Amino acid sequence: MKSQRGALTGKSLAILLIIAVAIAVAAAAFIGSRPDNARPDNDRIVKPPEEIDDYLFWEAKQLTDFKLIGADHKTLVLNDLKGKWSFIFFGYIHCPDVCPLTMGVLGQAFKLIEKNPVAYQEIQGIFVSVDPKRDTPELVKEYASYFSSKFTGVTGDTAQLDAFSRQMSALYTIHPKEAQGSGDNYSVTHNSTVFLVDPQGRLYGRFPPPQLPQEIAEVFVKIRMFYNEKVKK
Amino acid sequence: MIKLFSKILAALVLGFCASSASAESDIQIRNLWVQAAPPGVKVLAAYLEIKNSGKQQRVLTGVSSPAFGQVGIHRSMIHGNMAHMEHLKELAIPANASVVLQPGGLHLMLMDAKKPLQAGDQIPMTFIFGNGENIAASATVRSGTMEGMGDRQPMDHSGHGEHKH
Repeated sequence: MKSQRGALTGKSLAILLIIAVAIAVAAAAFIGSRPDNARPDNDRIVKPPEEIDDYLFWEAKQLTDFKLIGADHKTLVLNDLKGKWSFIFFGYIHCPDVCPLTMGVLGQAFKLIEKNPVAYQEIQGIFVSVDPKRDTPELVKEYASYFSSKFTGVTGDTAQLDAFSRQMSALYTIHPKEAQGSGDNYSVTHNSTVFLVDPQGRLYGRFPPPQLPQEIAEVFVKIRMFYNEKVKK
Repeated sequence: MIKLFSKILAALVLGFCASSASAESDIQIRNLWVQAAPPGVKVLAAYLEIKNSGKQQRVLTGVSSPAFGQVGIHRSMIHGNMAHMEHLKELAIPANASVVLQPGGLHLMLMDAKKPLQAGDQIPMTFIFGNGENIAASATVRSGTMEGMGDRQPMDHSGHGEHKH
């Protein structure tokens, strides 16, 4: 992503510059030929403020449809993300440290966002358990809602989980049973980033670990403001 | 008069013995708490500070609690945003130093909870050290996730002071 820009050599920079100028000329001709309201839906036409830039993906990525399973056989599909800002976290219930920590931080962040009632109405938290063998949809729901009433808990079979998590490059690995644990104790390596999906169902931003409630709340409110002013129209 | 004096002396000696007995250990277990979790959760984490005021390194080799089937010493690590856990066989507490177990780093992994725990519950625990010493302590179940969060260090650097194994 952005960090790759720093690695450009002078030669490739020059080539890129030529390509960029060519694209700009072509784009100008193209945009000039279209009505004003049909400009491409690219957030980066407007540079985001510095303080939120690091949290945003270089390009918002439209998610493709998926299906995850919640309690009472309810499903969660792409349409359920539309019209809301979704905070998505991948974890598992037998994770005693990082998962409750991150879920707790998100719960606290949601409370801080509540000071802005309109923004609060637009948010939802989604806890995706990547350990469906132990985490039933009922357990996942109970677990997620413990941290905030804004949380929905879902899981799915391996194919469903992979189809969703790969769209965010949120890899996970279920480790074979460890020698020290008795019974069903095994651990899962998971991505502890909190992903932010915009109201159009596009992967828009992310909060890498370690997260803090104040940070998430403040940055989110600014991201939402930027989005509403520059992007949504 | 001599009788009274010897009584006082005896009391002093006894008192001294009693106080020195309770302060015999160089190890202090402080701020021991368990992160409250939803009722269905069977695996929890405990956090604490272990202070060694002695001149020799001490090694925590195990922890047990009647409230859990098993207790392990674990460390959460995050590399490239991927979180995973490492099981430690033991945890060294250097001489005149403290090791802090806190969210996002070193923790005690409490497995197979025998019953659901609620905020305010007290959980007895026994800390077993390499020299054979056992120290009993009581953990408080706490619901808030915010304790000590303000000064939380990035996870990769937490649990400073411990030795690697």
